[in-house]
Amino acid sequence: MQSSTSLTAVAEVFLCAAEAQKQEKLAALLRDLRSALAIGRYDDVAALLKRVALPTLDYTTAQGLHRARNELRGKVLSSPQRIRLAVTGSFTTKQLVPLIDLYLFAAGVDAEVFEGDYGLFRQDILDPRSDLYNFAPQVIFLATGWRDLAHRPVLSHAPFEVANVIAAEQSDWCRLWQLAHQETGCQIIQNNFVLPACRPLANHEMRQSGSLSRYIASMNESLAVAAPPFVTIHDVEHLAACWGRWKWDDPRFVHQAKLPCSPECLPDYAHSIASIIAAQLGLAKKCLVLDLDNTLWGGVVGDDGWGGIRLGQTDPEGEAFMAFQQYAKSLRHRGVLLAVCSKNDENNAREVFEKHSEMVLRLDDIACFMANWDDKATNLRRIAQELNIGTNSLVFVDDNPAERALVRQLLPEVAVPEMPSDVADYIQAIDRHRYFQTLSIESEDLRRTEYYRADAIRRDAQTSAAGIEEFLVSLDMVAQIGPVTNDTLSRSAQLIQRSNQFNLTTRRRTPAELAAMLQDESWITRTVTLSDRFGDNGLISVILARVCPDALEIDTWVMSCRVLKRTVQQFVLNHFCDLVRQRGLGRIRGEYIPTAKNGLVREHYASLGFAPVAGADGERTLWDLVITDSWQEATTYIRKETNA
Amino acid sequence: MRDRLRHEMEEIFRNVFGDQQLVLRDDMTANDVEGWDSLAHINLMIAVEKRFGVRFATAEISRLKGDGQTVGRLLDLVEQKKRA
Repeated sequence: MQSSTSLTAVAEVFLCAAEAQKQEKLAALLRDLRSALAIGRYDDVAALLKRVALPTLDYTTAQGLHRARNELRGKVLSSPQRIRLAVTGSFTTKQLVPLIDLYLFAAGVDAEVFEGDYGLFRQDILDPRSDLYNFAPQVIFLATGWRDLAHRPVLSHAPFEVANVIAAEQSDWCRLWQLAHQETGCQIIQNNFVLPACRPLANHEMRQSGSLSRYIASMNESLAVAAPPFVTIHDVEHLAACWGRWKWDDPRFVHQAKLPCSPECLPDYAHSIASIIAAQLGLAKKCLVLDLDNTLWGGVVGDDGWGGIRLGQTDPEGEAFMAFQQYAKSLRHRGVLLAVCSKNDENNAREVFEKHSEMVLRLDDIACFMANWDDKATNLRRIAQELNIGTNSLVFVDDNPAERALVRQLLPEVAVPEMPSDVADYIQAIDRHRYFQTLSIESEDLRRTEYYRADAIRRDAQTSAAGIEEFLVSLDMVAQIGPVTNDTLSRSAQLIQRSNQFNLTTRRRTPAELAAMLQDESWITRTVTLSDRFGDNGLISVILARVCPDALEIDTWVMSCRVLKRTVQQFVLNHFCDLVRQRGLGRIRGEYIPTAKNGLVREHYASLGFAPVAGADGERTLWDLVITDSWQEATTYIRKETNA
Repeated sequence: MRDRLRHEMEEIFRNVFGDQQLVLRDDMTANDVEGWDSLAHINLMIAVEKRFGVRFATAEISRLKGDGQTVGRLLDLVEQKKRA
C-alpha cells in the first residue's frame, strides 16, 4: 500500500465500515498511516487525517491520530490559516488540547497552543505580565466548570438574595473578560456550566431558587445575555446533555486526573471548541446540498411519480423524511443556503416541490436547483459557482454511497458525511459534524436566502435590460456608508471572516480586534449597506483603513460577491477620496495579498486607477492613487444616503 | 491465554507510547517504558479499559503506576477482571 489512492481507499473503507468492524478497519488504517509516514508521504497522510478526524472518534484513536499530526509538523505546507490559541482553566487540559489541535488541523488550521498551568486562569488574566499575555493569543479558551463559580447561594436564600449572588458572579466573569480583552484584544471562548447529574433536592431541584442546579442554569442564562461580541459562550452544558449526564461524568478521572468529563466524551468536546475557532477563521460551511430520491423523500420520483413517493404522515418513514426536511428548513432559516443536486429530469424534480402537499421544503427555500444527468462533482462545481461560494463551503448529502465516494474522490474539499441507512438517523448524522458553526447569529443570517433569491430575479432583469448601464440605472441603488458601530460590529466581523473571494488581504479580524479599532483614531472603519428596487441587500462591504501622515492605507477591503459589478467599489473609492481631500492626506495606498481564492480581485486596484508600486515582497502587490484637485470621480450608479 | 493477553496489551502500549518496537515483559515497571508519565498513564488506563471492556477502580488507577508495580500485575488485574 504505498500510493496515495490506496491511502484514500483505506480511509474510505474506514469511513464506510459498520460499527462492529470499525476497530479492525482502524487498526489497518493506523498501520498504513505509519508506513506512509515512514517513507515520507506526508501530504497523503495529511489528506487522510483530514478525512478521518471525525467528532465520533474514540479517545485512544484520536490521540493516536494526533501523534501522526505531530509528525507532520514542519513537513507539510502549512495551511494559510494560523491561530495562536491559549487554553487556561481549572481542569486538566492536557488531554483535550491535542484533540483540539487535531480537529483544527482537519479543518485546515495550524494552531500554536499555549496551555496555562492547571487552575491558574484567574492569575493568568489578572497579572498583566503573565505568560498568557506574553504569548499574545488571538483566541483564549476559558476552560472552566461550575466549581469555578465563586459566589454560591444557600438553600435558605430568598429569591432576591439569590439574584444578588447571580449579579455578583456575573460581574466577576465580565470583569475577567474585559481585562483579558484589554490586554490582548482577542476573542474569548467561555465555557458555560454543566448541570450535575446528581440532585440532592430530587425532583424539586429546579424549583428551588437557591439550589445548585437552579443557580447553574441561571448563571448560564446570565452569562449568555451578558457576553459582549468578543466573547463566545461555548455551550458545554448542551454537549453533556446530549451525551447523557451520567455518561458524561466519570468521577474516577475527575479525582484521578481532573478531567472535565469522561474520556470518551473528550473528542466531541474538542471538536466543539475547534469548530468555533474554525468558524472564526471563516472556515465554516455555507451551503447544504441535498440529493432528492431517498434523501428528501422515499422512492424514486422518476419511476413512482410525485404521487407515489413516500413522504408524509401516513407512514413512519414518510414522517421521518418530513422531519429531515424540517431540519434542513430550520438551517435555511438561520442563514445556511440550501441547494439541490439530483440525477433527475428537472421537471419531475420540481413537480414534487410544487405539487406534493407534504413537502416541507419549497422551491423558494432552494437557492440553487440542479437536477440533470451530469455527474455530481460537475454539478457541485456549478452550484458553488452560481452561489459565488467556494466548493469547500459545501456539505453534500446523498443516500447513495457511490455518489458520496465519487465526490470525496473528485472534490476532497467538499464535506461528505457518511449517511446511515435509516432516514430517522439522518439529522444526527449531519448535525454532529457542526458544519455550520458560527461565532454569532446576526439578523442578516436570517434573511440570506431572500438575498440570494432576489439576486436571481435581478439576473433576470439583467438579461432583459438593453445594456449593463441601463440595467444598473434601473436598479435604482442607494447605499449608506459610515463607520462600524456597536450595532454593526458583529456583522462586520462576520463578513471579514467569511469573505474569501472579494477580500484584498484576507486578514481575519475578530469582533474583539474591530472593537479596539473603533476606539483608535488612527483607524477609519467603514461599512456599506446597499438597497435597490428589488429589496435590501443588507451590509455588504467593510473597509478598514489606517491614517498615515502622508496617505490613507487600506488594510482590509471585503465585499459580498452578491453585489459584484454593481459599482460598489467605485462608490467606496469616491467616498475615500473625499475623506483624503478633507484631511489633506494626498493619496490612497492599497495592498493585495493573493490566496487560493481571491484571484477575483487581483486587478481590483488597477481597475480603480491605482498605479502599482515597487517594493512588495513575494506575491503581494502594492498600489498607489494620488488624489489631486483635478481627480475625476469614478463612475458609480449608486446614490448616497446620508444619515450614516 | 496469558500470551495472547500480553500480545494485545503490547499493541495498546505501542499505540499509547508511539513506539512500534516496544516489547512487553511481565517484570517491566513504569521506569522501563519511555514516556510513562502521569499523563500517559491516564491514556493507558483509558485504552486498556476500552480494549478489554474492564473498569478500574479509582485506587487501582493510582496503584498501577506506583512503586514496585509491574506490567505483570497489570495483566493479572485485567485477567482477573475479565473473568469476573
